[in-house]
Amino acid sequence: MSLTPSLRSVYTRLFFAVLAGGSVLALDSLQRLPTPEVAAAVWMNPAMPDVRTLQETARGGIPMPAGAAAAHASSMLVMPEENPAALTIFWFSGERESGPLVQIAASQFDRATQQWSLPRFVVNRHEMGKQLGYGVRRLGNPVAWTDGKGQIHLFVVATGWGGWAAARILHVRQTRTGNGLQQLAFEPVQVLPLSWLWNTSFLVRNAPLPLADGGMVLPVHFELGIKYPVALRFDREGTFKGMVRISQRPYLLQPALIMQSPHEWLAVMRDGRPNGKIGAASTIDGGQHWRDLPDLALDNPDAAVAAVGMAPGQMLLAHNSSPGSRARLDLSQSSDGRHWTRVKTLEHGASEDEFSYPAMVWADSSLWISYTVDRQRIAWQRFAVGPAHPGAKP
Amino acid sequence: MSATGWGWVTPLLSSDSPLLPTAWVMQWALRLSWSVVLAWLGARVVGYWSQRKPLQWGLALGLACWSWIPGPYAPVHWLGLAFQAPSLVTVLLCVVNLRERLFSARISNRSAEPTPRVPLALAALGVLAGWALLLDTFAWLPVELYQWGFSPAASALVLLVVLVPWVIGRGERSAGITVWVAPLAILLFVVLRLPTGNLWDAVLDPWLWIALHVVAVRHCSVRG
Repeated sequence: MSLTPSLRSVYTRLFFAVLAGGSVLALDSLQRLPTPEVAAAVWMNPAMPDVRTLQETARGGIPMPAGAAAAHASSMLVMPEENPAALTIFWFSGERESGPLVQIAASQFDRATQQWSLPRFVVNRHEMGKQLGYGVRRLGNPVAWTDGKGQIHLFVVATGWGGWAAARILHVRQTRTGNGLQQLAFEPVQVLPLSWLWNTSFLVRNAPLPLADGGMVLPVHFELGIKYPVALRFDREGTFKGMVRISQRPYLLQPALIMQSPHEWLAVMRDGRPNGKIGAASTIDGGQHWRDLPDLALDNPDAAVAAVGMAPGQMLLAHNSSPGSRARLDLSQSSDGRHWTRVKTLEHGASEDEFSYPAMVWADSSLWISYTVDRQRIAWQRFAVGPAHPGAKP
Repeated sequence: MSATGWGWVTPLLSSDSPLLPTAWVMQWALRLSWSVVLAWLGARVVGYWSQRKPLQWGLALGLACWSWIPGPYAPVHWLGLAFQAPSLVTVLLCVVNLRERLFSARISNRSAEPTPRVPLALAALGVLAGWALLLDTFAWLPVELYQWGFSPAASALVLLVVLVPWVIGRGERSAGITVWVAPLAILLFVVLRLPTGNLWDAVLDPWLWIALHVVAVRHCSVRG
């Protein structure tokens, strides 16, 4: 059977189109690294402390930068054992939240003196804009992580036109060796490509979940009109490896990831609705798929939470527990992630007071909790397992 | 064939190993792409009032050069802040239009003619893809479409889709060079990974998507 000239032409064109598609597929595939293994989380503290016996050993305030009237959204980073500092804390500080003078500040807790150092600014929006080649309008919510080579990375909310809803996540990496506070300097890696709509409106707040391969999973959220949580994966060098939605419920934001086993994780989330409860979702395949869980039986006054899986069956949650107010900050514990009991009230003030945006890490055999006080300063508390021991200076 | 025989397909569909451009490549590409778009915009705006080539050349070159000034005195500082980088398709369309506008003896008055079938089909595909991506941005789709743009299969499949109008168009001569803009953009994306490493950002940006709506509406009104 012979083909008509026009039909033959269509087949010829089809052949060349398929050939072009195949060539592009081959060229694209050849450039890529192998797909990473299924993500496996690692415990924050393999020594399995009994979190029910936590005793406060020290508390106080982090020194603020001179002239800074506002401070918010702290993130703590555990430093290596050989480092003179046990922790580095980052937060955003300036004349007011979303102010043009806001920068990312940092301070370190010295192991010898048991005190926080005087802070210094380590990320400036003008400097970042110069290196990116375009403007950064405002900065906020730093989240710190150390990669497999020991370099510190920060994930920072960097807004375009339109405030927080037009925010993007700026990934910056330490430029020099040495983790002393005076040596800390950062350069942009990239603005993470997370959305087609001019790459708005993704924000970061909570700490990453460390993985066995040296990488991590960073919880972020979308918040333009509606809100939904997303998990981003990074390899041990801090290279972006993809994103997965945690939930499609349009009011959950600022997820905090809790390890229950290497491949089973829980996400607990702020509820953007008034009088909401803490939202929850879980994965059993290392974050490849997530499913919604019923809300926890814990009130959430549209406020950020922090959570960690310390060891098998030992999970901790720092959260504002009174409806309609951030005046009370509690620490709760759970063995299954569904049922939580209060361990301590970290702060309890008058209704107009605010103790919010907690962050938690385990370092030097202690649990450290930092949080914002009245959007003006950052406070901290340290807990040890068992009876309190003297020696720590606030 | 057993299910395990399809194991080779998994990495092709996987979006877990995205290839992203380096920071300095992105920075150079940002300036270059916005300088091309601004040059086109300048020539186009002048073209409304005057067909004098030196005037069009002058404004196009002036805007293009202005884009390379560092800091907040350049439009790229503000355009990047608001819109990040334009798509490769937008940049290539601007190049095609600039070439026609600055080097041709006469600009055809296309707004009075219906859009040829093949470009119209591509515009319709762009409009549909944009709506799907917008819905995906707000998590209103059951699949994660933007994330799929990081996979190796995305480039090949989208290339095949944008070639479909050409395959069935039987050499429609009036289609012109614009038919090849999207395929060329995909080829450039596979090599350069610009502007973000995600295929969707290379083939369609929100401004282009809005412009494609205008093309479709204008075609309907001219025909109607």
